[in-house]
Amino acid sequence: MRWFKLNPIRLNPITRRRWTRFCSIKRGYYSMWVLGTLIALSLCAELLINHRALIVHYEGNLYFPTYGAVLSGKTFGLDYDYEVNYKALQKNFAENNNSNWVLLPPIPFDAYETDLVKDDYPPFAPSSQHWLGTDTTGRDIVARIVYGFRIAIAFSVVLMLFEYLIGITIGCLMGYWGGAFDLVFQRLIEIWSNIPTLYVIMIVASIVPPGFWTLLLIMIAFSWTNMTWYMRTASYRENSRDYVLAARAIGASGPRIIFRHILPNSISTVVTFIPFSVAAGVTALTALDYLGFGLPAPTPSWGELLKQGTDNLESPWIVTSVVVAMTLVLMLVTFIGEAIREAFDPKVFHTYE
Amino acid sequence: MTGYFLRRLLLIIPTFVGITLLVFAITRVVPGGPIERMMTQAMLGERSTAAQHTQSGGVLSEEQLAQLKAYYGFDKPIIVSYGQWLWRILHFDLGNSTRYHDPVWSLIKERIPISIFYGVVTLIVTYGICIPLGMSKAIRHGSLFDNLSSVIVFLGYALPGYVVAIALVTLFASQLDWFPLGGFVDDDFDTYSLGKKIVDVWYHAALPLTAYLASSFALTTLMMKNALMDNLGADYMRTAVAKGQSFKGAVRNHALRNSLIPIATSFGNNISLIIGGSFLIETIFNIDGIGLLGFESVVDRDYPVVMGILVISSLLFLIGNILSDICVAVVDPRIRFGER
Repeated sequence: MRWFKLNPIRLNPITRRRWTRFCSIKRGYYSMWVLGTLIALSLCAELLINHRALIVHYEGNLYFPTYGAVLSGKTFGLDYDYEVNYKALQKNFAENNNSNWVLLPPIPFDAYETDLVKDDYPPFAPSSQHWLGTDTTGRDIVARIVYGFRIAIAFSVVLMLFEYLIGITIGCLMGYWGGAFDLVFQRLIEIWSNIPTLYVIMIVASIVPPGFWTLLLIMIAFSWTNMTWYMRTASYRENSRDYVLAARAIGASGPRIIFRHILPNSISTVVTFIPFSVAAGVTALTALDYLGFGLPAPTPSWGELLKQGTDNLESPWIVTSVVVAMTLVLMLVTFIGEAIREAFDPKVFHTYE
Repeated sequence: MTGYFLRRLLLIIPTFVGITLLVFAITRVVPGGPIERMMTQAMLGERSTAAQHTQSGGVLSEEQLAQLKAYYGFDKPIIVSYGQWLWRILHFDLGNSTRYHDPVWSLIKERIPISIFYGVVTLIVTYGICIPLGMSKAIRHGSLFDNLSSVIVFLGYALPGYVVAIALVTLFASQLDWFPLGGFVDDDFDTYSLGKKIVDVWYHAALPLTAYLASSFALTTLMMKNALMDNLGADYMRTAVAKGQSFKGAVRNHALRNSLIPIATSFGNNISLIIGGSFLIETIFNIDGIGLLGFESVVDRDYPVVMGILVISSLLFLIGNILSDICVAVVDPRIRFGER
C-alpha cells in the first residue's frame, strides 16, 4: 500500500519540474496567490462583512458575537429580546459617553440584511455606507457578492471533485476492460450527455425546491460524462503499453495494474483540467441562478444579482459590480489554468528568425 | 472507411431512441403536465363564472378527463405511447403545441431563419478572424501585438457569452443608448424599404453577435495559435526552411495544414450551434430563435415543442459528430477510421 503515501518533500522529479515551471509563469503564479487570498478571505467573511460586531466592550466584559450564539438586546441593557442591532448599539454607547464600545466589521452589513431609507426605494446607488450600492431589496451588494462568491466556489469545487471521481472511475474502467463494457457505456454516455440538463433541473425544481445539495446532485449526475472520454482514451493507450503487459506477465492483479500503473500514468494530466472545470461550475451555477432555477431565493448569488441588474437597467451599479467580480475571478482561474497547462506541456516552442 | 462511417450512421438510431425515450419518460412521470394545466385552467374558469353556474359541480367530468388523456396519449403505458410518438416522428409529424395549439414544426420553422442568421454569421466571422489571427499570433509569439490581442482573447475565453451579453446590454443599449435593447427587428419592420431592412437587422444584431463571437472566437484563436506553434517547432519545418523554402511558404504549405486538424475536429459540431444558438443570449436579447422557444417551452411544460426541438437538436448533434470525423479524415490523410 505504499502508493497511498504522499511525501511532500520527496516529490517525484517530474512533479517538481512542473511546479518550478508553473512558478516561473508569473501571470499564473500571481493569479494563484490572488485567488487563494480571495478564497481565504471569503472563508472568514463573517469577520469582514457582518451585521454582528467583532468585539463589544460592555460593563467591563468583552463579547465576541461573530461566531457564537445570538446575543439578545437584554445582554447589553436594551429593552428587547431579539438579536442586538449592533449599529444602533454603537451609536447608543457613543451617545452615553461611557467606557462601553463596539467594534464593527469594515462592512457592517450581512448578505440578508435590508437597509432601507425613509421615503426612498431601493436599489440605492453606491455611497460611503454601501460601497457598491444595494440591490432591489436594499441588501448590500458587497456582502451579496462576497458571500455569493464563497457559495459559488464551494459549489464548483465539490462539483468538480465528484465529477472527477465518477468520470475517472468509469473512464478508466472503459479503457481498461474495453469490449462490450466500453461499447455499452459509450452509447449510454452519448445518450446521457445529450439530455438537456436545464430541463431536468427545472423538472426536479417543480417537485422539490432545490437546495445546495439537491442542485449539486443533479449537476453531478449530468456533468461526470465530460471526464470519461479523456480518461477512456488515456487508459486505453496505457493499457496497450509494454509495461502493462509486463506487469500482467508477472501476475499483477487487475486492481494493482489500474492503481499502480495505469492511473498514475494517465491521471496527472487531469490536473490541467481542474481550473477550467471550476470556472465552468461557477458559470453554470450563475446561469441557473440567473434563470431562477438555481439556489433558493434569499441565498446570495451572482446569478440572482445579474437578474436584478438586467431587470433594473437604470441602476447600472448592480450589473457592473457582478460583471467586474465575475471577470476578475474567471480571469484569475483562467490564468492559473493556462499556467498549469503550460507547466505540464513538455514541448518548448521554437521561433524562427 | 466507408464501412466505418456507415456503422456510425447506423449507431445514430439507438442513440436517438435512447435520448428521446429518456426525455419522453421524464415528461410523463413529472407532475404539472398539460392535463393538470388544463384542469387548473378549468378550475379558474369555473371560479370566475361561479356566480352564474353554482350547480355545475366538479371541475372536469370523468369523461372529459379520459378524453383529454386519450388526446395526449396519457392513458397508455409509457412505452406504447412512446412507440406511437416515434411512429408519428417517422412520418415527420411533431404534433401540436399545447400552448399555442399550432403544429410544432411550423413554430420551429418560423424561428429557424433567425437562428441560422446568427449561427452562420458567427461561424463565418469566427473562422474568418480566428485562423488569420491565430496564425499571426503564433508567428509573432511574444510580440506586443501578441500580448495585446491576448488580453482580448483571454477576456473572451474566461467570460461566458451570457455575461458578455449582459455587460453589452447594460453599457451600449441602456447607458449609452447606441443600440436597441433586444429583439430581432423593429416592430414596424415590414413597412421599411429593403435598404432600411438590412440596416435594421444588423443594427439589432450588433450586440448579440458580439456576445456570440466573444465565446467562440477566443477558443478557436487559442486553438489555432497553439496548434501552429506546435508545428512551427516540428522537424519538417526546419527541413523545409533548410532546403531553401521561404518561411512564409513553409508555414503556408506545411505547418498550416497540420494546424487545421484540431480545428477540424470540432467543425462538424457547428451544425448544431447554427440551429441551437444559446438560449441564454437569446433570452437576454429577447431574440425569438430556437433557443428561446426551447427555453419557454420547458418553462411552460409545452412537451410537444420540447420533444420536437430535442428531436432536431439531437439529430443535428449526432450528425455533427460524424461530420467532424469526416472533416478530420479530409484534412489529415493519415487518419483511417475503423482500421485497427
